[in-house]
Amino acid sequence: MTTRRVKGIGELPRDIPPARDLWPAIAEAIQADLAMKAVPDTRRRVGWWPAMGLAASVALVTVGVFIGKNFQSVETQPLVNTATPVRDAAVVKASLRQAEYQKQRDQLWTEVQAKLNTMSPAEREKVGASLTALKKSIKDIEDALGRDPANALLQELLVNSSQEEMRVLTTVRDSGRQEL
Amino acid sequence: MKPDTVVNFDVALIERARGGDAKAFERLYREHVGRVHGLCLRMTRNPDTAADCVQDAFIKAWKALPRFEARASFSTWLHRIAVNTVLEKRRGPARAEISVEDPGEYEEPTMVFDTPVEEEELEAAIESLPQGARDALVLCGLYGYEHQEAASMLGIAVGTCKAQLHRARGLLKDRLERGVR
Repeated sequence: MTTRRVKGIGELPRDIPPARDLWPAIAEAIQADLAMKAVPDTRRRVGWWPAMGLAASVALVTVGVFIGKNFQSVETQPLVNTATPVRDAAVVKASLRQAEYQKQRDQLWTEVQAKLNTMSPAEREKVGASLTALKKSIKDIEDALGRDPANALLQELLVNSSQEEMRVLTTVRDSGRQEL
Repeated sequence: MKPDTVVNFDVALIERARGGDAKAFERLYREHVGRVHGLCLRMTRNPDTAADCVQDAFIKAWKALPRFEARASFSTWLHRIAVNTVLEKRRGPARAEISVEDPGEYEEPTMVFDTPVEEEELEAAIESLPQGARDALVLCGLYGYEHQEAASMLGIAVGTCKAQLHRARGLLKDRLERGVR
């Protein structure tokens, strides 16, 4: 069998179509790429971590201001040492999960609920709404940690928010005790 | 490299593909796949490896489209990606550099034979060339790239590219038993 005769390299065909259509595999990779771009990535999620922290902080400040304005301050012993810097968020987070912490937290919420019942409807609504917002913020952080458990920023945010929650709950529970 | 004849057509498709239009990118693929495949096939000498390289090159091109500068030649850019993909696939030891005293000595990348040669015989002779010589011949002699462009694609010095082409010319002359100008 003879083929076309050429006088130079430049006469050889530059285009040689592949034996099979390669597009389906390329299209698949492109669809995967497009799908990946459509899913919010970690960096995008970072955008609402500060928002969650801010929500928690706003709730804490609201409760704090309200308590400061309406109740005498009392000396209370924080259940969690908030003065200790968080060096190892993972370790602290693990400790927060301990049953003792949960037990104390549940107990505090029960006591705070009882305390709320003694407040006027207006006070109860304000403090209750702020505490609910705080609880929701912590839940959101926990959910985010569920999706990204190794995230140190979220871990620290959870620890700090949980510590603040305990401090505020203690303060609300003990508010007005000196009045008795 | 000769200017693209489909530049204007490509520009509109590139813009659409940049915006995530896979159909537009498919048209670019259909337009360019033959040339990219020819390049990969001649560099790899293996149809399966060449097909893999073509697929990888187009996927890389899709992902890199946002970085493509519209004023550049799309086919040159695509060929650069394809050559890079072939070089990655080889993963062999670094090629020995062939130096030349006077790089200006081997300027002419075209090759013309004294008497015509069968296309199949010529392809087989090109296929039998050592890798470095074949790469330079394919890019400069067949696809029309200047030494500067080809050297840049291959990651070698311009002088090395010229020397490799000179070497390819000599080897082809011997293998085809014809005078090569």
